[in-house]
Amino acid sequence: MEIKELQQLKTKFVTREVGNELILVPLSQNVAQMSELFTMNETARFIWENSAETNSIDDMVPLMTDNFNIDQETAKKDIALFLDKLESLFAKKVS
Amino acid sequence: MMDKAFRKSVLIADFLIELRSEIPFELEEGYDLFLSEDNKREADVKIDCFAGIPDAAFQNGDLVFEAENEDQKYYSIYRIGKDLGFVIYNQQDQSIQQIATLDASFSHWKVYSKVTDTNALLPLKYPLGPIVMHYMTLLSDAVMMHASCAFDGKDARIFTGFSGAGKSTMSKIWSEAQNQIVNDDRLIVRKQNETYYVYNTPMYYVDRPKKAPLSAVYLISHSPVNIMQKLNGALAVTRMMAFSIQNNFDTQYIQVRLNFFSTLCSSIPVYALGFVPDQSVVKFVLTNEAGETN
Repeated sequence: MEIKELQQLKTKFVTREVGNELILVPLSQNVAQMSELFTMNETARFIWENSAETNSIDDMVPLMTDNFNIDQETAKKDIALFLDKLESLFAKKVS
Repeated sequence: MMDKAFRKSVLIADFLIELRSEIPFELEEGYDLFLSEDNKREADVKIDCFAGIPDAAFQNGDLVFEAENEDQKYYSIYRIGKDLGFVIYNQQDQSIQQIATLDASFSHWKVYSKVTDTNALLPLKYPLGPIVMHYMTLLSDAVMMHASCAFDGKDARIFTGFSGAGKSTMSKIWSEAQNQIVNDDRLIVRKQNETYYVYNTPMYYVDRPKKAPLSAVYLISHSPVNIMQKLNGALAVTRMMAFSIQNNFDTQYIQVRLNFFSTLCSSIPVYALGFVPDQSVVKFVLTNEAGETN
């Protein structure tokens, strides 16, 4: 998954902040997904919330290194891991 | 609105529902003790009932939601402008049982159903009745949940979980411990005057309306030993919301539910409870609750 696909995916969720966590509820056209609710940790939430300001993983890397105490390589790996996880969880289900 | 000759009102979770029809209509027996004679109060929900199923309903609507499983269809929802259209399927033969529309205010239904053998309508025949109740909860701070609830005269405890988690078993155990069972399958939780109340709803059997103040929520599962853990924040909200009845095709509905559960979970304790199916769980729960408050 690319950042631009994440931007599209975001339109298919409703979010709410509870404490320091972000809850994601998928818009659904059937009953099967109604128990599938998700929460995001700090890093995942940062990528989710800042994806609108970026067009690629490379754009996101400096935002990550500025906000977290990590190097570019780690940031790139974290972003790719997050996008892969999203793809495996949601890409087909909410398309 | 034409003056309808036949009228009945039911009071469910303190929501007043008025049904009106030009020909006689009946309600399933589970509604018997929920009938209300209150004619002073404006109904929260009005249902106009009509005879006959319209042909080719909602042809110009957008299909937005389908409630079905591998075995059968329950209902389909269409968006028609700002209104919603419902096609309700008979649970025995899968024919269309009712066609219904709900206006954007969630307060006015039109229900079209077949005339029964006794020359009457059965407008709220399952599953439309619970669907009406679900959309009624969107009018207020309320939700409908798959859960059982036990009331000891002071505190009401909800037990919820996946199918087979033990909701009915818990009801039996707590009933034997002299608790009143509000219901063991479907409940409405409603916030009124800063208190959350649990209500039963009409079922397929006759039961009287019950209302009890909610004190705790338990997300239950079978376990070799009794064990409980308090859940907080997003985890409590998502776990509890998963067991509520939802039609998540609309952003607004989801936001309303998220707001409700976020507020509820900030004032009512939510626990994960693994339990042994015998009386030991009652003492275990009461002891641990007392420990929490001390």
